[in-house]
Amino acid sequence: MTILKIAAIILITVAAVLALVTDPPLASLTAGGGSSRIFFFHVPVAMVSFLSFMIAAGYAVAYLRTRRPVHDEAQAVAAELGLTFSIVAMITGAIWAKQAWGAYWNWDPRQLFLFVLILFYGAFFALRQATTIAESRRRLSAVYLVFGGAISPFLFFVLPRMYRSLHEDANQVVIATQGKINMSATVGTIFALSSVGFVLLFIWLFQLGRTAARIQSVSEGDDQ
Amino acid sequence: MDGNISVLIAVLVTWAGVVWYLVKVDRNVKRRSKP
Repeated sequence: MTILKIAAIILITVAAVLALVTDPPLASLTAGGGSSRIFFFHVPVAMVSFLSFMIAAGYAVAYLRTRRPVHDEAQAVAAELGLTFSIVAMITGAIWAKQAWGAYWNWDPRQLFLFVLILFYGAFFALRQATTIAESRRRLSAVYLVFGGAISPFLFFVLPRMYRSLHEDANQVVIATQGKINMSATVGTIFALSSVGFVLLFIWLFQLGRTAARIQSVSEGDDQ
Repeated sequence: MDGNISVLIAVLVTWAGVVWYLVKVDRNVKRRSKP
């Protein structure tokens, strides 16, 4: 686990340095050039937030099948991390949008649907506080997160592609041209380093959150 | 490039702060999790 933590720190640090000393990935975009370096953080963070919501849904299903409190703790920690990473993705996206498109908020489908997800998972924590009965809280949380796991792929991948989006410029230059990955070796390498770094960071935070939740449950006598 | 260096320093200082805080929380949680 220590190696994982060190690897996360090193990979993200190296990606940050390389992102700022190499040429920007979208130099061809008007006004978007230098600011496009944020791509190396914005996209991996958004990917990790989706991964978190899927893991939350997985633990929710596990809870509904086994009724083990540790699965409830894991689902809540994953949802918390997913929400945190989504907010970071939203903020980094808004900073880039201001530079590339002229405004922090553009009613872009991808911005809008990510915001809907943030509201959805924000409401989850209100729901968790709505009842003091542990069993009801865990069951309600699990059902809500299974539903969240079902809608997340649509909000992340399907709905944003059904409408014209300002993201299309970035998608075509960096990510895909007619279904193919379209990154230079340098861009691909930095993107891979950053993506792996953020996934490792997520694993670290997830384990940390689970241990903290376990300590809290045991100290409150809420682990039955 | 000069602009990038100042951004790089700002990013690295912020990231160092995040890492320092994470390591501190990690040690604290590990200590409290031991019976």
